Amino acid sequence: MSPRGIGVSLSQRIAWVVPLLSLFILSKVAWAQSAPQLQLRQSASTVGVGDVVDVELSATSADTMPSDAQIGAAQGFVVRGQNPSPSQTHINFNGTRMDRYTLTMTWTLEAQRVGTFHVGPASVAVSAIRYPVQPITISVVPAGQAPRPRAPPPTFPPGMQSPFRFSPFDPWKGLLQGFDNDDQGPTSAPSISTDPRLSLDAARGPFFFLHATVDKTTAVVGEQVTYSVYQYLDTGERSVEIDDENVHDSTAADFVKHPLLREDQEAPRVGYASAGGRIWEVKLLRRWALFPLRTGDLTIGPMRLNVVRPQSATGPARTAETLVVHASEPPLTGRPPGYTLGDVGHFSLSAQVSPREIDQGGAIGVHVELSGTGNVPSAIATPVREGVEWLTPEVHGELGPTGHDAFGGKRIIDYVVRMRRAGPVDLGELTLPFWDPDQKRYGLARASLGVVRVVRSAAGSSAAADSARETLPGLPSARDRLEGSRGPRAHADDSPIFWIAGIGAWPLAFGAMVAARAAGRRGLAAWRKRRTSPETELKERLAAASTACGQGDARTADAAIARALEAAALARVRVNVRGAAGNELIDRLERAGVAPDAASSVANLLRECEVARFAPEAADIVSVRNRWVRAQGAIRDLETGG
Amino acid sequence: MRRHRGALPLALLVAVARLLCVGTASADDDTGALFASAAAALKDGRPQDAIASLEALADRGAIDPVASYDRGLAYAMRARMGAEAPGDLGRAAQGFEEARELSRDPQLVEDASRGLSVIRSEVARRRVRAGEPVEVDPGRSLARTVAGLLSEDTWSVIAVLASVILAVCLFMRGLARARRVRISGGVGAGIATPVLTLAVAMTLAARHDRMRLREAVVVVASARPIDERGVTVPGATTIPEGARVELVEASGAWSRVRFGSIEARVASSALRALARPD
Repeated sequence: MSPRGIGVSLSQRIAWVVPLLSLFILSKVAWAQSAPQLQLRQSASTVGVGDVVDVELSATSADTMPSDAQIGAAQGFVVRGQNPSPSQTHINFNGTRMDRYTLTMTWTLEAQRVGTFHVGPASVAVSAIRYPVQPITISVVPAGQAPRPRAPPPTFPPGMQSPFRFSPFDPWKGLLQGFDNDDQGPTSAPSISTDPRLSLDAARGPFFFLHATVDKTTAVVGEQVTYSVYQYLDTGERSVEIDDENVHDSTAADFVKHPLLREDQEAPRVGYASAGGRIWEVKLLRRWALFPLRTGDLTIGPMRLNVVRPQSATGPARTAETLVVHASEPPLTGRPPGYTLGDVGHFSLSAQVSPREIDQGGAIGVHVELSGTGNVPSAIATPVREGVEWLTPEVHGELGPTGHDAFGGKRIIDYVVRMRRAGPVDLGELTLPFWDPDQKRYGLARASLGVVRVVRSAAGSSAAADSARETLPGLPSARDRLEGSRGPRAHADDSPIFWIAGIGAWPLAFGAMVAARAAGRRGLAAWRKRRTSPETELKERLAAASTACGQGDARTADAAIARALEAAALARVRVNVRGAAGNELIDRLERAGVAPDAASSVANLLRECEVARFAPEAADIVSVRNRWVRAQGAIRDLETGG
Repeated sequence: MRRHRGALPLALLVAVARLLCVGTASADDDTGALFASAAAALKDGRPQDAIASLEALADRGAIDPVASYDRGLAYAMRARMGAEAPGDLGRAAQGFEEARELSRDPQLVEDASRGLSVIRSEVARRRVRAGEPVEVDPGRSLARTVAGLLSEDTWSVIAVLASVILAVCLFMRGLARARRVRISGGVGAGIATPVLTLAVAMTLAARHDRMRLREAVVVVASARPIDERGVTVPGATTIPEGARVELVEASGAWSRVRFGSIEARVASSALRALARPD
């Protein structure tokens, strides 16, 4: 309000403000010494479950600003928000100063369950003393049964005040408007009843947001799903401006879409809602009847738009939720013959045939009306009879929203039917099986067409004969007994045993035999080779020498020792010393890497054995055994390289 | 008390068995009633009603060669009576093809083949009028034709016999001392080896077809190849109504099919799958 406006307002009111101020001054002394004035009240005494009720505590003190307001017990309610509103009034009248400090605390409570509940005692602290207030009683009834709230008082945009701005909570406020320029408190919100069906736990954005809902998340193919998009506008916000050029509607490619709301008019307000502790004005932007076209999880893409004003509300695009509807087929059990997937709703059929008598080759008219709610089919199957030709019909629709957000109406289908066969022709009946989602069962709409008398004519019979001759001649006749289905059966080649034992085993057996023979030959050769090796011979010679030394024949023992030494030289250092003697033997061994001492030892032992063997008298067996001991040492030396 | 203990599980078993029997009998009755009404409608010249009943049978998962045959015939009769709906010839061909595939009755197979021939002739006649290629049945590949000469089980038996003979001949060749026997073994092995190879290959091919091959029949006037965006490919050869195609890949709204040398992507709604015996 401009200062000029304030001045005008003051001059108009001053005549009756003065007596009031006089009364106020007289009571000032007593008022200043007394306890604070406390008052607790609620916006409604009876609310429904889910409704929101405002409880306001007003505490006024002459000494200091009341503080720390507490609501106390609030059984049966959830505190969705609280709004403190302090205000001060200082009046200087003829040099007398009067102060008034008021704290108005408003709690927003949401009713949770049915019953009668006491809220409070609320309390407030003034100068370190806490003052309680008598509790209030609020009745909570089931949702939707609360008495309709009074119409909210007319509201004025921020910046404009009502000329009759009188608040029962604060009678001084309006009267002393001209005096309390330093009044710091905002006005209290008008009492608004919120719709729990529109309320949300949390706001989806500041100031303004979109919210999308469907009336069901599972449906059968062809069943109506009602999709709605609401806009939520914070009641504290004056208005928002939408970028009309940049509004992206929801996408529903897997559905047939029919609007239930005119989209070229302003969105109707559907109520108020509580979200995130704030009150929102809710308008219905879109309402569509969607009919699923296929089974599966079908996605409804979000609506998106941009706010361009006020500046504080702009930002990222406001987007509604992406929703998913699971569509399935109606049950197979009880499905009538001729049912077409997608025929869902509740339908009725009526038909008129005229004329009932006609010449052969002429045509009659069949007027069919198909009406009901739901996914009204655009065509129905016509009965097929020999000599009856149904031409392409003319279809007119009178479809749109019906009561309770249902889509439906009437389709008018006009057929021209050519009668080619003479005599009485029973046209049969039109039938439309459908799935009724409300009754959860199949229904059948039918309309009997009756009999038409076709009078024989020469032109008509020749045309009929021509048409019968030319189409699909030579079709076989029908069968009337089922053959019986072959169920799935096992095949031999599904089993690994077939492939392993049946196919692979026989050639594999031959292959195994060939392999075994080859392996046997190779083993035999290896064994033979091993038998004739120097190592094997050395083992045999050592054993023979040891045996000979254990017996009493010295010559035989010397011979065995000599052969053991020769075998050791061959096995250990790959040197054949047979036939060599003396230095030549030592040279051979040394060239093979044997140490000179070891080579000399072998040469000496061989020489001693030879001498003993060919001496005239036999050697002493004890000396032969000693030689054998030395020979074993020499063989070991050969093994270690000397 | 002891008798009661024994009687309770027995009674439960009997009750469960009775319930199962009732369920099965009910399903059989339903199938029988639907087929009976379809047969009566065909006999009375009401193909529309017959189609409704036979399609209801198919929806219930009932697979029978005669039901498929009568369904094909019902669609053909509807077309013949001048009440043809788009795709009727294709659906008729699908019914006859399915009957041929499922039936063990040579007479039914012959009738179905005759019906199929009538339908394909009509399709070819219409395509000639429209100036489109008339090939409606390009036939199967050579390997598939050879594999189809004998049943999978027959190929399996031949493979086992060839394997045994090959092994015996190899043993004769490897172990026998007599020269004549060794030569006989060599010749036998030389014959048995290619026979075994062929029989195994055909068994595998037949098994692959049984496990993997899925076929369908075109049930629209012309299946037009589409691209990834679902847009008709300009100038592409169309696949005729009633053509039997191999389903290479199926993905919701579209399917990749093979028809002779053509491999194309078509709308799944343009096809109707053939039931298989196994």
